[in-house]
Amino acid sequence: MAAPLELSCWGGGWGLPSVHSESLVVMAYAKFSGAPLKVIVIDGTWRGSRGDVPILTTEDNIVSQPAKILNFLRKQKYNADYELSAKQGADTLAYIALLEEKLLPAVLHTFWVETDNYFTVTKPWFASRIPFPLSLILPGRMSKGALNRILLTRGQPPLYHLREVEAQIYKDAKECLNLLSNRLGTSQFFFGDTPSTLDAYVFGFLAPLYKVQFPKIQLQKHLKQLSNLCRFCDDILNSYFRLSLGDG
Amino acid sequence: MSLVAEAFVSQIAATEPWPENATLYQQLKGEQILLSDNAASLAVQAFLQMCNLPVKVVCRANAEYMSPSGKVPFIHVGNQVVSELGPIVQFVKAKGHSLSDGLDEVQKAEMKAYMELVNNMLLTAELYLQWCDEATVGEVLEDVDQCCQALSQRLGTQPYFFNKQPTELDALVFGHLYTILTTQLTNDELSEKVKNYSNLLAFCRRIEQHYFEDRGKGRLS
Repeated sequence: MAAPLELSCWGGGWGLPSVHSESLVVMAYAKFSGAPLKVIVIDGTWRGSRGDVPILTTEDNIVSQPAKILNFLRKQKYNADYELSAKQGADTLAYIALLEEKLLPAVLHTFWVETDNYFTVTKPWFASRIPFPLSLILPGRMSKGALNRILLTRGQPPLYHLREVEAQIYKDAKECLNLLSNRLGTSQFFFGDTPSTLDAYVFGFLAPLYKVQFPKIQLQKHLKQLSNLCRFCDDILNSYFRLSLGDG
Repeated sequence: MSLVAEAFVSQIAATEPWPENATLYQQLKGEQILLSDNAASLAVQAFLQMCNLPVKVVCRANAEYMSPSGKVPFIHVGNQVVSELGPIVQFVKAKGHSLSDGLDEVQKAEMKAYMELVNNMLLTAELYLQWCDEATVGEVLEDVDQCCQALSQRLGTQPYFFNKQPTELDALVFGHLYTILTTQLTNDELSEKVKNYSNLLAFCRRIEQHYFEDRGKGRLS
């Protein structure tokens, strides 16, 4: 009898069980693999200090970072990739690399760096869920973290201009979305009829971009034109997360 | 390159055929060149060979400073200078040469995904090992193994990643794996990881033979 698995993560809104990509990836994977997670949503009483969620806690372990959490769940026999061939497993790794390098920077930028979005939507949302006085510090820290992450993959010597970087990351993200759309085609999931790790990652990265209402939405507009990707997100939300979701 | 400059270069590129005196610049071999830069240079050389575009390789100590973006390798073609594999692939495409035109959309997506995987894992490994970051060696080696396993699965028994014809993915993988296999490091563990996969070894040998030795370029040193 497995010890209870508890997942601490950011809460939901706009029809999503979580607005945070990494939390969503883990939540989706758990649904797909049948892992019985007890989801603990961070709210005003949360005392964690670093914003490291999602974090999986069991009797003897604390695991952070989506890739490590998924590995841990697989070792506990909650494996959503059971039916994949070796080649499909290899493709999964490759597509995740693509998502992290080409899509994630623009998603981070949309949420955390683009000024209108950050100040009118992201910051108030997160600040309202963090207890004072952490609410004054943590969102800013997360924003800086996002900027660093973007510049790490994109900012290059001898000079970089944020403007140049911005144009490139959105171009890359749009191309990545097109590639994903082409790859998905008319299939229900990326590898046939049952969802796997890759579906969890794509869902986790796309759903917040799709659903959260921002003032500056160029990437969202592009995504909404790719109807199979939107259908993919909606299908997962309806099939796996159909609960009474209040907008938080 | 900025987006505007990129579009501009593509326009100009299209008008002129590939010249006889195209040159590729990299750092000096031996001590100066970094593992990751060597891999990048080999990848570009392999790519150009696969496209049948002749290029002369010149080693310069100040290659980085000669490069418009600060990155090596770069090619000097006609009166244009382009650096790094991605932009070079685009530039060559503007001149009417492409290795991946025959791929369908899904295959193109796969190709790009695998190129990111290689950049993500092998490049990172090369960077870590260059700077000998002891603490993370274990994790890095594991990542390399995972990446090689994925590449080995994807390659299977085919000669190239998309069966009979090589693409820029083959060039990129060759650049990295060959560099890892042939560079003397204080620590052999990285090349041992690659050696576990016989089809990847055969792949490197095949490209070396077909695109470098057979073209009279001599064995790569």
